[in-house]
Parts: sequence; C-alpha cells; structure tokens
Amino acid sequence: MTHNRRFENSAEHQEVSALIPWYVNDTLADPERQRVDEHIGSCAVCRDDLAVHKRILEAINAQPALDYMPVASLKRLQARLDAAQAQAASPPIPPLEPSRSDAPWRGWMAASIAAMAVAIGLLAADRWVQFEVREQQPNYRTVTTPIPRPQGEVIRAVFAPNITLVELQTILDEAQLKIVSGPTEAGVYSLASNSTLTVRSSLALLRRHSTVRFAEETLPESESGNSP
Amino acid sequence: MTPLAKNSPKERDNALLAAIAAGDRRALEELYLSYHRRLARFLSRFTPRYENIEEIINDTFMVVWQSAKDFRNASQVSTWVIGIAYRTALKSFRRQKNHNVANSLEDYPEQTVDPTSEAEVRDWLKHGLSRLPMEQRLTLELAYHMGHSLEEIAVITDCPVGTVKARMFHAREKLRQYLPTLGGGASELPARIG
Repeated sequence: MTHNRRFENSAEHQEVSALIPWYVNDTLADPERQRVDEHIGSCAVCRDDLAVHKRILEAINAQPALDYMPVASLKRLQARLDAAQAQAASPPIPPLEPSRSDAPWRGWMAASIAAMAVAIGLLAADRWVQFEVREQQPNYRTVTTPIPRPQGEVIRAVFAPNITLVELQTILDEAQLKIVSGPTEAGVYSLASNSTLTVRSSLALLRRHSTVRFAEETLPESESGNSP
Repeated sequence: MTPLAKNSPKERDNALLAAIAAGDRRALEELYLSYHRRLARFLSRFTPRYENIEEIINDTFMVVWQSAKDFRNASQVSTWVIGIAYRTALKSFRRQKNHNVANSLEDYPEQTVDPTSEAEVRDWLKHGLSRLPMEQRLTLELAYHMGHSLEEIAVITDCPVGTVKARMFHAREKLRQYLPTLGGGASELPARIG
C-alpha cells in the first residue's frame, strides 16, 4: 500500500494512468504501449484501473448494436439540399426606387406601406388559391399509384421508420418475401414472393408485426400465381 | 458505385470530399451511405429515437456539404466528419436535456450499488453511463465504442489532449464511485477517491 501511494504521487504514474483507456482500446503507439506495460508490472493501482477500463469497454461493446436503413434518411437529406439550392438560386428582391422627396423618411415610409400592401395582397391571393386547391383535391394521398408495378410484386408494405435492417430482414424471411423495389418517397416497399407460400399467408405473417405499418396485396389472389 | 471505391478508405474519403467541394451531389450521397451505419450506431447509444439520430446525421451532412471546400487536410476526413457529428449531437442532446434527462435520472437511485453477476454489472454500468456529464460520456464512447485514439478524440472534440484525459479520468472516477465493484480492488477506493 505504501509502495502504491509512493507510485501514485510520481509523475510517471500520473502520466501512465492517463494513457490506460487508450492502452485498453489498443490505439497507443508502440513506445507508449511499452511504457504502460512496464509501469503496470509494478503498480497495483494502475492494474486496478486497467481492470476498471476493461470492464467498461466490455460493457459498452456487449450492448447490441442496431443497424438502421439509410435510404429513407438520405432521401430526406436530398430534399433538404434541393430546398436549400432552390432558395439560393431564387433571384434577390430588387431594391426599391430611391425617393425624390426632400425628406428621405417619407420615401421609406411610402415604400414600406406599398410593400405591406403587396404582401397582404399576395397572402390573400395565396390563401384563396390554397382554398381552391383544397376544394378541388382530396385531402389524402394514395400509395397505390398508377406507376408500373415492379416485376413479381405481390404486396406493398410500409415499415416503421425506425426499423432496423436486421428486423426488416427477419420479417421478410419469416413471410418468405423479398424486396423488388422501394422504398418510394412515401416509404412504400414492393415485395415479391420468395417461395410457394400463398400471398395471403405472407400478408398475415407481415401483419403480425407492429413495425409493419401497412401491408396490402397488389394483385388479386387468382393472378398472383400463388393461389392455394 | 464510383471508381473511388477501389481505393483505401482514407483515399476514397479524400476523393469524395474533394468532389463534394466541387458540388458533386452523388459524392455526398456515397459519403453519407458509408458513414450512416457507424454514426447511427454511435448515436443510438445516446438516444433510442431514430428521428433524433436521423436529424443529427442529416444536419451533419448539411454541414459537410456546405463546408467541404473549407477542409484543409489538417485531419483525416473521418475525424472531421465525426467532429461535425459530435458538435451537432452535443447541441441536440443539450436541447433535449430539459425534456428527457431530468426524468431519466429519477429512474435510478443515488446510492452506490454492489451487483453480483456480470449481467448486473453491465446493467448498472449502463445506468452509470447515463448519469455522466455529456462531454465525459461522449469521450468515453468515442474511445470505447468508436475506438478512437487520444489524439483523434482531441481533434473530434476540438479540445487539448489534456482535457480529453481529464474527461476520461473524471468519467472513470464517477463510474467507480457509483459502482465500486467495477475495479475488483474496492477496498482501496475510499482512500483514492477521497
């Protein structure tokens, strides 16, 4: 103990002790690693610290890692970039004509009033157009769009946004389905049958999972080729 | 897949970043896809919500897109990208702190614990990690989850090496106070912690 206390106060001990985390994660350069090796041989306190750090490392890496699907996230990033680029490309607002008035503030006031009037007019027009559009269009969006169906598609499905690759693959394996297309902008996957399992059976297996937010058959049973 | 894929990861990252600096969106997408898994795994250790993880990753790559032309090869591209993610995450976690952390701390008792099995130690350690100040926990996770060297963590966190060592030291001391059985030499702890 006395021996260890003497070590604890030495500069060598302090310096080596601070390197132990990187000794444990194996990123020290050879000379530093050698220095830690030599010190640990004669310092019980550092050996104890080493044990602590090894347990922390093991505990951190024992927790299961989740893999998320990047494609939908990337699409949202692309949309943000498109919006940012469109904003950057839009023409700047032209400066107002300089006032000929002797009192400059009168010109600014007039310009402000005019700008406000234009803004209010545009706002009213926009509200009217939005109202008209709402009146004319349904307030929902379908996922069964008339785009051509991918080869072999029998089911369209939407999964929870936080589903992991492993979870998705497990669900698809269980339902004996494979992805033939997707996800679309709305997150819809086109799935094809991977076996002789009926489409209805695959659908039932899919719907058992809470991470499957939507699953519908896209072909009548008689046309799917998998009729019971 | 671009022809860059056949180079080493470091060369590939450098080439991709140069292309991004020239305005190449496909290069950004390739870099995004190559970092998404690593960053998502790292961030999932701090927040269970994928919406938050995605927001941090996408904010990070917005910065990568806007700042690629300013990259001067003072560090590796990977360290630079993870440094941006670190700062973005820190801001995001601080924003959420008022909503989430106050409640989560109440879930755990204040006293030290003495778990017996290895699984219990892991469980309590997980709780102990969640009690650390964010900078200390991030330092610990950058070293043990991501496997970064001391110097890399200094670049990522934009701190002197001494600060990184100090954060790691305090993280370890707090975990030991919380969980004395971590070290096996618990009988010596009161004298050391003071």
